[in-house]
Amino acid sequence: MSLVEFLSSLDSLAEQAQAAFASASSADALEAARVEFLGAKGGRLRKVQQGLGKVDKADKPAAGKRFNEVKQLVETAFAAAQEQAKDGGETASEAFDVSVPGEPVCIGRLHPITQTIREMKDIMGRLGFTAVEGPEIEDDWHNFEALNIPLSHPARDPLDNFYLGEAASAAAESDSPLLLRSQTSTVQIRVMEACVAATPAGESPPPVRIISLGRVYRPDTADATHYPMFHQIEGLLVDRGVTMADLKSVLRLFFQSYFGSDGEKGEHTDDMHVRFRPSFFPFTEPSVEVDMNWTDGAGKTGWMEMGGAGMVDPNVLRAVGYDPEEVTGFAFGLGVERICMRQHGITDIRDLYQNDVRFLSQF
Amino acid sequence: MIVSKNWLKEYVALPMSVEELTDRLTLTGLNLEGVENIGDDIAIDLEVTSNRPDCLGHIGVAREISVLWQQELKKPTAAPDSVGPEIAKQTSVAVECPDLCPRYTARVICGVKIGPSPEWLANRLRSVGIAVINNVVDISNYVMLESGQPLHTFDFAKLIGQKIIVRPSKPGEKFEAINHQSYELQPGTCVIADAKRAIALGGVMGGADTEVSESTTDLLIEAADFAPLSVRNTARRLNLPSPSSYRFERGVDPEGIDWASRRCCQLILELAGGELCEGVIDIGEPVAAHEPIKLRFTEVPRILGIEIPAETVGNILIELGCQETHTCDHCIKVIPPTWRADLTREIDLIEEIARIHGYEQIPEDAGVKMVVSTRSREDRVLEQVRDVMVATGFYEAITISAVDRSLVEKFQPWSNAEPLSVSTPVLRRADCLRQTLLPSLLTSRRTNEKLSNAVIELFEIANVYLPQSGELPDQRRMLALTSGGTFPELKGVIELLVKSIAPGQRIETSASDAPLFDAGRGSQLMLGDRVLGFLGEVSQWGLDQFELRGSTSVAELDLGVLIDAAVPIRRVTKLSPYPPVGRDLNLVVDEQVRWADLEKIVLSESGELLEGIAFQETYRDAKRLGTGKKSLLFSIQLRSSEGTLTNEQADTVREQIVAKVVKQLGGELRA
Repeated sequence: MSLVEFLSSLDSLAEQAQAAFASASSADALEAARVEFLGAKGGRLRKVQQGLGKVDKADKPAAGKRFNEVKQLVETAFAAAQEQAKDGGETASEAFDVSVPGEPVCIGRLHPITQTIREMKDIMGRLGFTAVEGPEIEDDWHNFEALNIPLSHPARDPLDNFYLGEAASAAAESDSPLLLRSQTSTVQIRVMEACVAATPAGESPPPVRIISLGRVYRPDTADATHYPMFHQIEGLLVDRGVTMADLKSVLRLFFQSYFGSDGEKGEHTDDMHVRFRPSFFPFTEPSVEVDMNWTDGAGKTGWMEMGGAGMVDPNVLRAVGYDPEEVTGFAFGLGVERICMRQHGITDIRDLYQNDVRFLSQF
Repeated sequence: MIVSKNWLKEYVALPMSVEELTDRLTLTGLNLEGVENIGDDIAIDLEVTSNRPDCLGHIGVAREISVLWQQELKKPTAAPDSVGPEIAKQTSVAVECPDLCPRYTARVICGVKIGPSPEWLANRLRSVGIAVINNVVDISNYVMLESGQPLHTFDFAKLIGQKIIVRPSKPGEKFEAINHQSYELQPGTCVIADAKRAIALGGVMGGADTEVSESTTDLLIEAADFAPLSVRNTARRLNLPSPSSYRFERGVDPEGIDWASRRCCQLILELAGGELCEGVIDIGEPVAAHEPIKLRFTEVPRILGIEIPAETVGNILIELGCQETHTCDHCIKVIPPTWRADLTREIDLIEEIARIHGYEQIPEDAGVKMVVSTRSREDRVLEQVRDVMVATGFYEAITISAVDRSLVEKFQPWSNAEPLSVSTPVLRRADCLRQTLLPSLLTSRRTNEKLSNAVIELFEIANVYLPQSGELPDQRRMLALTSGGTFPELKGVIELLVKSIAPGQRIETSASDAPLFDAGRGSQLMLGDRVLGFLGEVSQWGLDQFELRGSTSVAELDLGVLIDAAVPIRRVTKLSPYPPVGRDLNLVVDEQVRWADLEKIVLSESGELLEGIAFQETYRDAKRLGTGKKSLLFSIQLRSSEGTLTNEQADTVREQIVAKVVKQLGGELRA
């Protein structure tokens, strides 16, 4: 912006402001004029001041000087108009209108995925599960090998994973390729390994009771129900005497708290049940799909698939250094997006990642 | 796997309704995908998990039903009469790659009459969605869908040299499949060849040259086993998935191969005539006997949380086809059936018992032990960060972790390293793992501008991935912001954030010349001796890069630095009961003197009496102050913990400050 442009915009602003203050016929009108010209946030003087930054460096002192003069001028004009208004006093016709909206105050919103994760962490926290996170770029051992997914397993197919370029693996001096993790179970492996590593020789490693959560990646084409990046929450409980009945009960408590609670009365429904169907995952045995009973808007009841679960496979416990003869464990995994979308009536997963503030402001 | 209800009835009685049947199957491992009426038949689509290839045939599904409803399983006969000459005189088989083809059997039937299949056979295939071709091809499909064992029939007369060689493909070898498309094979692909050429892709697809046609009279019937990984790779590479490759990828019953061959021959003799040559060519190691698996009865409640009587445990295993070799008070030992390669360990048997006994038997109200959980420092701080962001009017965005390569060089605040890249883009062209969140956030800003959203205040908390040698990448959690406000406004948000998380910590600023920032309006932020992040107003160049129309300020902070500096538990300080005294100062200094330099002097000169310092404004007036000068207006608030401050005491502090400014910065008090 040239100096001339800047100065002329200042001059016209000064004129307009003086005219507006002089012609303000009521306190409200004067206040409106003040906001228009002198408002701290969107005032026109303020906007012109922002233009100051765009003036050539050499012209800045001159532009700044003139700006300050105009500012003073406008402020003086306002003060004068204010004095005048005070003298005149408020007439009955200028009574304060209590129905005029208040000054707007802006507040942001957390992303619905974050809100869902917060609620889940909160509930699982009350159930004694500590939240942990881990690296999103993983090695072969944590994403596959330790999870009982051998080299020949189809889950390792390059078409089903985001492998990093060879250069990255070479830089990490890793024989096996690195990849964007395809599941948060990787964190469970890391936590169990850390527990074992911190245990003195000859002693039993401590129980583990965690939820791991975060972003995971799978090469799905983006459509209404798929996105190549999504969030998972996985629970793991390893201890002496952990059984599938514990798994079912913890999941039921979780669902009761998440879906069945009536916040107003602080009550929850007992009419919420968990159903297991046999399934197959390399890292659990037995493996099950977890269903929850559900009543839709029309009052129709049925079972809704919530995620996968099972008892930690003895091979996994052995791989990280726990003795499957001594401890047992359960693990479960739930898709955060699916639960979030159901809860809020979101029908297209892509809406979650477009970040349209109109969408975000609804939560 | 689609099964026909009429077909299932061949092997097991179905006294239940379809709904009852599918409900129970769903709860025991065969998940219902759909039911369709086809003529007088019902097609039931069942999802079969990859560990259960035994259920990829009607007999396998019937076996599950027989166990669940305690019904007898009726397996059909597979005893064809052979009246022809000895097979060894007709043909020969050589397997050159036993690792790719561990078993190969061949039978030969001469003098068949190719024609349409009888209605009952055609209908069954139609029910399960398989195309009807001719009696011989239909029979081989039928037996595959009956037993789960894929079969292939060759037009024997078209085999050059009347022999079969199973071998790895040669470099550059070509193959024309039954679909009449030609494929160039990767060397090492498992092919079935005659004396001259490849005539089938082992386990994947037959060839056009030896296809059974209306003129065919002599057949070679192949029943074999192919290595799962090799079949999967070939089918995937050539994009030739087939019912056959689907089954070999999951593994076939080694003892079911010969049965399926005999069953196929029997049906061909019945429905297409011909004479079966005496005997079979069977190449491959004999199937190794399974070791018995021991199941300790105490393991059942230890894993499942319920007691199941030993007798029930034994019955379930035996009904599933296990052979009991030992039983006592403590344990049972069984040899699993050959069609259940997934059963190798004690835990595998426990899963079988659980699913047949029924998962509904497991209670959902066990008294789970109560323990405390802890929240990490990181978790607490992140929650505070989010709360401050929301309170200051920012909306949380989530963007994907990879960016288009063209965005990488726009801004590289944390590392100049070549970004890590993924072999397939995560979305569109985004194949570089990001090293800053700002480009993604500015892209979201553009999305909002295009939607004519007036207020666009966004933040994101996510990881960046900085390559480092010898380890996994350095994954750092960042907070990025984009705002319609000015530099000072966004700086105010960051100051508030730091103040509310790490009270007492001061942000030091220095200029940043990143081209993303407007000249002179970008800065690096330090917290102690660590880089906290970057803040600036985006330059015109920067706006152009992201096709933005309106101005924006951006910032990115390394949350690791903030988390380390956080004061999670606050301690109170004793509050003074005495009143404060304020002083305004107006100091004229050279243009290049920074507020931070002045502030440092105020802090050091006021000592313990200083309670607060508030910057008011910078004033410039060449006429009154002289060119190259500015005056800095600010006020200080002083308070003593020992007594009411006198005006003289406050003036002394003020004078000390002024004296030091005059001496160190060459400034002067403005009259």
